[in-house]
Amino acid sequence: MRSYWARRVGSSVLILALVLVLNFVLFRMMPGDPVASIVDPKFSPEAKARLMEVYGLDKPMLTQFALYVKSSLSFDFGISFLTGRPVADELRSRVPNTVALLGSSLLLSALLGTWLGIQAARKRGGALERLVLWGGALSYSFPSFFFQLMLLMVFAAAIPIFPLRGSLSVPPPLGGAALFLDYVWHLALPVLSQVLLGFGGWALYVRNLMVKILGEDFILMARGRGLPERRVLRGHAFRMLLPPLLTILLLSLPGVVSGAVLTETVFSLHGVGRFLMEAVTGHDYPAAGASFFLLALLTVASTLASDLLYGVTDPRVRLERGRGR
Amino acid sequence: MIAVRNLSVTYRSSEREKRAVLGVDLAVERGRMVALAGESGSGKSTVLMAIPGLLPATAATSGEILLDGRDLLTCSEAELNAVRWRRIALVPQGAMNSFTPVLTVGRHVEEVLEVHLGLSKREARERIPALFALAGLDGGLAARYPHELSGGQKQRSAIALALACNPEYLLCDEPTTALDVVTQRDIVVTLRRLVDEQGVGMLLVSHDLPLAASVADRLCIMKDGRLVEEGEPRTVVDHPGNPHTRALVGALRELEEAP
Amino acid sequence: MRRRTLTRRWSFWCLVLLAALALFGGRLFSAPPDAEVAAPFSKPFWLDRSLPPTVTADLTPDAPSAEIPWSWGAPSRFFVAADMVADAPGRTILWTKPGGRTVEIAPLKKGVERDGRDMAFKRALGLPPFADGAASLLDERGTYRLSVDGQGPWEGTVRLRLDGGRWGLFGTDQRGRDIAALFVAGIRVSLLVGIMATLIATALGTTVGLAAGYLGGWFDSAAMRLVDLLLSIPMLPILMALAAIWGKGLWQLVLILSIFSWMGTARTVRAMTLSLRDTAYIEDLRGIGAPTAYILRRHLLPETLPLLLATMTLGVPGAILSEAGLSFLGLSDPRVISWGRMLHEAQTFGTFTAGAWWMLLPPGLGIAVLCLAFLDMGKYLEERTDPRLRGGALS
Ligand SMILES: Nc1ncnc2c1ncn2[C@@H]1O[C@H](COP(=O)(O)OP(=O)(O)OP(=O)(O)O)[C@@H](O)[C@H]1O
Ligand SMILES: [Mg+2]
Repeated sequence: MRSYWARRVGSSVLILALVLVLNFVLFRMMPGDPVASIVDPKFSPEAKARLMEVYGLDKPMLTQFALYVKSSLSFDFGISFLTGRPVADELRSRVPNTVALLGSSLLLSALLGTWLGIQAARKRGGALERLVLWGGALSYSFPSFFFQLMLLMVFAAAIPIFPLRGSLSVPPPLGGAALFLDYVWHLALPVLSQVLLGFGGWALYVRNLMVKILGEDFILMARGRGLPERRVLRGHAFRMLLPPLLTILLLSLPGVVSGAVLTETVFSLHGVGRFLMEAVTGHDYPAAGASFFLLALLTVASTLASDLLYGVTDPRVRLERGRGR
Repeated sequence: MIAVRNLSVTYRSSEREKRAVLGVDLAVERGRMVALAGESGSGKSTVLMAIPGLLPATAATSGEILLDGRDLLTCSEAELNAVRWRRIALVPQGAMNSFTPVLTVGRHVEEVLEVHLGLSKREARERIPALFALAGLDGGLAARYPHELSGGQKQRSAIALALACNPEYLLCDEPTTALDVVTQRDIVVTLRRLVDEQGVGMLLVSHDLPLAASVADRLCIMKDGRLVEEGEPRTVVDHPGNPHTRALVGALRELEEAP
Repeated sequence: MRRRTLTRRWSFWCLVLLAALALFGGRLFSAPPDAEVAAPFSKPFWLDRSLPPTVTADLTPDAPSAEIPWSWGAPSRFFVAADMVADAPGRTILWTKPGGRTVEIAPLKKGVERDGRDMAFKRALGLPPFADGAASLLDERGTYRLSVDGQGPWEGTVRLRLDGGRWGLFGTDQRGRDIAALFVAGIRVSLLVGIMATLIATALGTTVGLAAGYLGGWFDSAAMRLVDLLLSIPMLPILMALAAIWGKGLWQLVLILSIFSWMGTARTVRAMTLSLRDTAYIEDLRGIGAPTAYILRRHLLPETLPLLLATMTLGVPGAILSEAGLSFLGLSDPRVISWGRMLHEAQTFGTFTAGAWWMLLPPGLGIAVLCLAFLDMGKYLEERTDPRLRGGALS
């Protein structure tokens, strides 16, 4: 039983290691002077020399990598070329925003999608099922940012009920409650758009699973035991749905994080994704590397969390050797 | 008493129509065991599942299924739920799939106790060891998940689950298939004891004719959806009146004499 | 079950149409797609009929005058330019109003230009500095006439452009470029990047999948481990970093996209190879000593090919969406017109402040339709290779 948890944690560590290597290699693969990717060419020679020493840029690659891993793991990402402030400070204020965007949109689309999927599975051939089928197909082929731009166009530009940009009003309102409401107001359209784009895939997946589960013998037997319909659905059918639901959550996470980068850019939110995007366009390599690392870390951490939850919800996997995914 | 009168069942799908049961009459009284035997596909399971109203939506039924005079075929789902398990419980064919894989076996038992008898979780838990003992099982197995049990243990758990609410009638669909001979015997003896000691009325579906004949009070033989023979087990086996039964018994004799 | 042929699928005709537009669509437009043809943010011609349209007229020695029927308010800009081989002394450009009054615009000289907003021009017309030159030149309804007047030879073209607020099927963007022309030019990029990236990724994935499935052992486990790892990292940030480091060219983009999208194919091909590897006929081949490479190339590859075609088609939308996403983030070559780039410019250059929704719809819907068409086509191919899938929900 221990080995299941050990394997999952081990695989997360491996992914993280790969991310670190990728990050290290990517930003040292730059054409020209590798130093330019870490130290701003605009800095004075003395400052350059000092920074080079700090990052060990004069040392062999392996030492550099060790140093890099050490600083990454202690969240010491160096100085941003663009703002001249430590990248870690810049990121600290943005991580909560990204987590809020990701968390709330993921939660809402999972809830809405799951509910719709279950209803569609219960009433096969209804209008709801058609909605789910089409919603699913559209969410796989619709460019998210286009949909979001249209939403902005309609609900922020044409009918100004939502703000066009930003995570907070400028200047932000005073007082806790007012500040919170302002924040939610700014987050509403981004989250709404992600939910509208995301629920279709969920619903389609849940519907297909649920159709299969409802046809299983143990559901018939649960009915045969005289259990009320709600109990059959919640206690048995939904309980069976839970593990695969976590699997899809797990598999969709990387895509959702990618989507957050686009969403933050479209809505000009103060988050890690837009920071990455600005860093990349502004050739701010320390900042870009750090945001990439953080986004990957976020993905890996949530993947691990849902993986562990999976083990809790499905007693069967804990005994298996390795899980075929 | 459960009285099945002139029951017919037809499975309908877009491509074909299968008349699985044709005009079957059957009676199960409390404290007696009726065995239903017949070759594979003769409609035994269909009769059994029709009684608590568990046939799929594609099945069209006609006739009557009377539980103490009340026709179950005309009952609503809610009325059926009041009858299911509290009065008529069932041990399905191949008990493997009757448990929800992500719940422990004990949880299934607790659930029916909570729903039908209104027990609290603790009270329900306290009853489990006795129920499991009744089915010849160690109470410790209640904490296991279905996939952690052997076939025989699963079958006995299914019996324990069926007995949870002290049902008046027990419908067993081939409870001994795919088990070794010793376990088969044990389970059949357990079932017989239930009939004798608890006064349960039992319908035992089996295609093991000698086994069915040895424990049941009455033996019915089905063939192609029809009841072709009914009577005292010994009479049916020794003096089969129907050519089909004769063939069935004859085949068994040959098998026994072969080695 | 209804038999579905290729020509009965909407996606087939949709793709044919788009491919035709990509190849020959440029001929529908007289100007290249990046030419500024009308006022910035001109609306589509069918949108607001009360707005003046954008009118152009060319005068040449063979056709030295042009009639311009006008039944709207003033245009936003009046612009005349002479593209001459040499000065033509003795000739002038004349503007005749419906009532018969004539206005001398300019002498016909090499490189002469007149814009209704120019101070000098307004002074020459006798207008106060704050007046609107275009409004005073077009202050009536009826038929105006632009002509080259006077005596003497001349060679060249005189161009008139009246910027109304309407242009073409889809209007214009922030620089006055024709969105319909940009849209057609963008098809090519989307198709090219989508198909090329998927082709390369499929080749990569097939190689890895075949090798992993057939060889097994440590290579197999290492390859599958790598696939798992790559699939659990958010792709867009990596693509962004690579695009920033390697440069924004079209081919770099194709390469970047293909390097990070071979994993699905590798998995599918590996599974297929595994199931084929142990069939009797492959085992016979091995038994008579056929070399591994030969078996892979001549027997396993052809077997996996039909499925591969379907996987590939289903992979194109992913590449198209990634390209569009990167371009939308501004990480593409600004000189290459693509749908993603159009959306990027729409967002950056004030579609919202200008309310120019027509900048958003064509590229956005274009991407969506193209992706849906490829998805549908892929489903069709999948059904052809695997009859069990027939009668899927959306087919
Ligand atoms: N859901 C269904 N849809 C259509 N036909 C069915 C369905 N269930 C059973 N049948 C058909 O009805 C007939 C009777 O089936 P039933 O399961 O009652 O047989 P059985 O006597 O229990 O056989 P066995 O001994 O193999 O369990 C069979 O021919 C079977 O193919
Ligand atoms: Mg049966």
